[in-house]
Amino acid sequence: MKMKKKLSENILDKFSIDFLRNQVLKNAYGNDDTVIARLDPRILLVWYLIFGLVPWFVNNLWFLMGCFLLVLVTTVLARVAGLVLLLFAVGVFTQTGYLLVVSFLFGGDASTIVPLLILTLKVATCSLASVTVFSGLDPDRLSNGLMWYGCPERLSFSISYAYRILPMLMEEFQNILLSFRMRGNPPAHERFWGKVQYLFYQVKVVMHAFYPLMLNTAKRSRTTVEALEIKGYRYAAVNKAVKKMKLAALKVTYNDLLFLAISFLWIAISILLSTLF
Amino acid sequence: MNIIEIENLTYSYPAAKSPILKNISLTVEEGDFLAVVGNNGCGKSTFCKTLNGLIPHFIDGDFEGSVKVGGINTLESDVGTLACKAGYVYQDFENQIVRPTVLDDASYACLNYAMPDYIERGRQALFLCGLEGREEDYIWQLSGGQTHLLALAGAVSLRPDILILDEPIAQLDPGHADKIYGVLKELNKKYGKTIIVIEHHTEYIADYCKHVMLMRNGAIAWKLPTAEALRRVEELQECNIFPPQVTIAAHQMKLNGKLPENQLLPTTISEGKNAFQHLSYHFSAFTKQKEAEIGEPVVQFRDVSIAYRSVKGDDRMVFNGLDLEIRRGEKIALIGSNGAGKSTLMKLMVGLLKPGTGDILLNGESTRKKKTEQLSRSISLVYQNPEEMFIKDSIRADIAYAMQVRNVENWQARTDELLARFRLTELQDRDGRLLSGGQMRRASLAIGIALNPGILLLDEPTANLDIATRKEIMRTLTDMKDITETVMIATHDMQLVCEWAQRIVVLCRGRVVADGSRDEIFGNQEILDTVGIRPPEIFSMGQALDSRAFCYTVEEFLHSFEEV
Repeated sequence: MKMKKKLSENILDKFSIDFLRNQVLKNAYGNDDTVIARLDPRILLVWYLIFGLVPWFVNNLWFLMGCFLLVLVTTVLARVAGLVLLLFAVGVFTQTGYLLVVSFLFGGDASTIVPLLILTLKVATCSLASVTVFSGLDPDRLSNGLMWYGCPERLSFSISYAYRILPMLMEEFQNILLSFRMRGNPPAHERFWGKVQYLFYQVKVVMHAFYPLMLNTAKRSRTTVEALEIKGYRYAAVNKAVKKMKLAALKVTYNDLLFLAISFLWIAISILLSTLF
Repeated sequence: MNIIEIENLTYSYPAAKSPILKNISLTVEEGDFLAVVGNNGCGKSTFCKTLNGLIPHFIDGDFEGSVKVGGINTLESDVGTLACKAGYVYQDFENQIVRPTVLDDASYACLNYAMPDYIERGRQALFLCGLEGREEDYIWQLSGGQTHLLALAGAVSLRPDILILDEPIAQLDPGHADKIYGVLKELNKKYGKTIIVIEHHTEYIADYCKHVMLMRNGAIAWKLPTAEALRRVEELQECNIFPPQVTIAAHQMKLNGKLPENQLLPTTISEGKNAFQHLSYHFSAFTKQKEAEIGEPVVQFRDVSIAYRSVKGDDRMVFNGLDLEIRRGEKIALIGSNGAGKSTLMKLMVGLLKPGTGDILLNGESTRKKKTEQLSRSISLVYQNPEEMFIKDSIRADIAYAMQVRNVENWQARTDELLARFRLTELQDRDGRLLSGGQMRRASLAIGIALNPGILLLDEPTANLDIATRKEIMRTLTDMKDITETVMIATHDMQLVCEWAQRIVVLCRGRVVADGSRDEIFGNQEILDTVGIRPPEIFSMGQALDSRAFCYTVEEFLHSFEEV
C-alpha cells in the first residue's frame, strides 16, 4: 500500500511541467556529443528516407527484423530522452499491441502473432528511424539539412526558434499554473469521486492558464520582432549569399560514409538471410 | 565631430493624439558617454528608437524634422544600414536573443547581412563583452548578467559607432551591474564607441557618464556635463530623478548652512571626502534601529537539500543541508547575487517545490504532507514578474479570486477595501498586464495579501522600477507592516534593505554565509567582498569619513555629521 502510494506520487511528480521542459531541452540539445549528432544532417536525412519508407514495401520477417535491430542500435547511439522513448512505446502499443490482446480475447491463436509482428516491426522501424534523426540531431543542424534540400528558410528558422522559445514558454506556463495552485481551491481528492472532480479541475485550470500565457507571450514578442528586424532577418530571407554561407559549414566526412556503409552492409546481410530462410 | 545631429524632430505614434517627441534638436559628439534621464513615459525609449531607424522605418507614425546618424539621414536609409551605425540593447534583453547558442547569437546579425567574416566578428564581440570561453554554451546556461552581455555582444558584432542601452542594470545584482558598466567604459575609452544609456541609477551615471540629458514631456530640457547636471538637485527631483545620495546630502547641508554657499556639490564619494572633510562624526540616537518584537519560529528549514534536473550531466545542487529559522514578526531581507538560490528558498517555503531531503516546518508542521492550497492561508508569495500573477482578465477579479473560491466571508467588501488601500479602485476593470510598472507591482501586492497570510514573501519587489515608483512601493511596504506580521523580501536593492529590514540573510552559492542586523552585515567588509554587495552610497560615504559611522539613509548621515 505504501509502495503504491509512493509510486503514484512519484509519477505525478515526474510529470510536472518542469520535467517536460527538461525533457524537451534534453531531447534537443542534451545529446550533441553522440556519434549520431556529429553526422552530416543531409546524409542522415537520406538514411531516414530509406528506413522510413522501405519497410512498408517488404513483408519478409527476417529483413524487417534486421532493419529494426539497426534502428534500435542507432537510437541507443543517439541517447534519446526517456520521455520520447516512452511516447514511442505507448504509440506502438496503441497502433498494434492492442490488436493482439483483442484477437486473443475473441478466440484468436498463436497464428495471429506473425502477421501482427510484421506490422509492429514496420511501425517500430519507422518510428525509431524518425526518433534517431529528429531527436539525435540538434535543431540547428536539422534545419540546415532541410534547407540544403530546398526547404524554405522560414521553416528552418521556425524549427530552431521554436526550440529556443519553448523552454521560456514552458517556464512561463509553469509559473502561471503555480499561481493557480497557490490561490486556487481545488476539490478535496482523497476519495474516488473527489479524484474525478480533481482531474476535471486540473483540466479546467490548464485551459484557463492559456489566456494569460498567450497575452504574456504577445507582450514579450514585441521586442523579439523588433530585434529580428534590427538583426536583418528580413534581408537574409531574400539574400542567396546568406544561405550559401549558412550551408558552407556542412561537410560530408569519412564518418558519414562509414555510417552509410555499415547501414547498407547490415541491410545486405538481412536480405541475404531473408533469401536463405 | 558630431556623430548624431537631430533637428526639430517631432514624432507621434500612429493613432496617438499628441506627439511623444516634441521639437527635439540635439548634437552628440563622437566618443561621448551620454545618460538619458527623465520620468517614465517621457519618450526616452522612443527617442532612442529614432536613432537606429526603427522609427520611422519599422514603426509608422508622424515623423517631422531630420535625424542624422554618422552623417546618414535616417529617412533616406533603411534599418539594415542603420543597424551597422547604431546598436540597440533592449530593457527586456532576454527577448532580444533568438539563437540557442552563444556564438551563434552573437554572429547572427552579421550572417544575416552576409558578412563573410561573421564568425570572426561574433568571436571578437564576445571577447569585447567579456564572454570569451562561453562560445559553445547554450543561452539558458548563462546568468542574467551574462545574458545581458550577450545581447550587447549581438549589437557590438556589427561594429556600430554608437551603442544604445535601455536601462542596462535594472534587473542585475551590483556585481553584474559593475561588470556591464566596466565593459561599456572600455568600449567607450579604448574603442571610441559613442554610448547612450537610459539610466535611473545616478550613482552609476556619476561614475561612468560624461554628459547627462534630461527629457521632460517629450522635449529635451537640457544636456550638460555629468557633474553639473547632477548638481541640479531640485530640478532633477521634480522629474522624479534622484541624484546620488552624496549630492542630496550636500544639498541639504547647504540649505541648513552646514556647507558654505559657494561649495560645489559633490557627486561621487571621492569628491564627497573633500567637501565633507570639515565635518566630524558624533553618535546620534537617530541611527538606532527599532528592536523588532519577535515571537516563536514560524518557518524552520531543517537540513534541506534540493537539486534541479540539468539538461546534461549531473543534477545541479541548489541547497545542501540548509538550516534557517524565521520567527514571527521578523522583517527579513534575503540578499545574494543572481542565482544564489533566493527564489528557490521562497518557492520551498510556499510548497511549490518539495525538498529532496530534510524538512521544512511551517508553524511547527511539516510542509511535506501539506498541499500548496492548504498552505496559502498562512503564507503567500509575490513573484518577481507580476505578469505571471495575473490569471484573470481584470485586477479586481485577480484580487478576489483566492477569496472567492474559498468562500471567504464578505469577499466582495474585502476586495473593495484592498483596491482602495493600494489605490487601484479606478483601474479595477483593466487587465493587469496593461498597467504601468508601479501599478502592476501594487496590484501583485494586493493579490499576495488577499488571504491575510501571516507570512508574506516578496521576490524582487522593486526590480525594473524607476526610483519614484520604487519609493512608492517602499511606502506601501511600510504601510503594510500592520497587516502582515512576518515579511521576507529577496532583493538587490540595498537602499530598501537598509531602510526596511530588521534582519538580513545573505545567501551565497546555496549557503547562508551571514545572518544578522544591518550593522553586522554592512560592517563586515569580508562578507561584502565575497558576496559582492554594494552598500548604499551614503553608507560608504559615512565609512569613508569615519569608520565608526553607520549611516543608512541621508537623514541619518545629516544627523551624524556636524561641524566641529
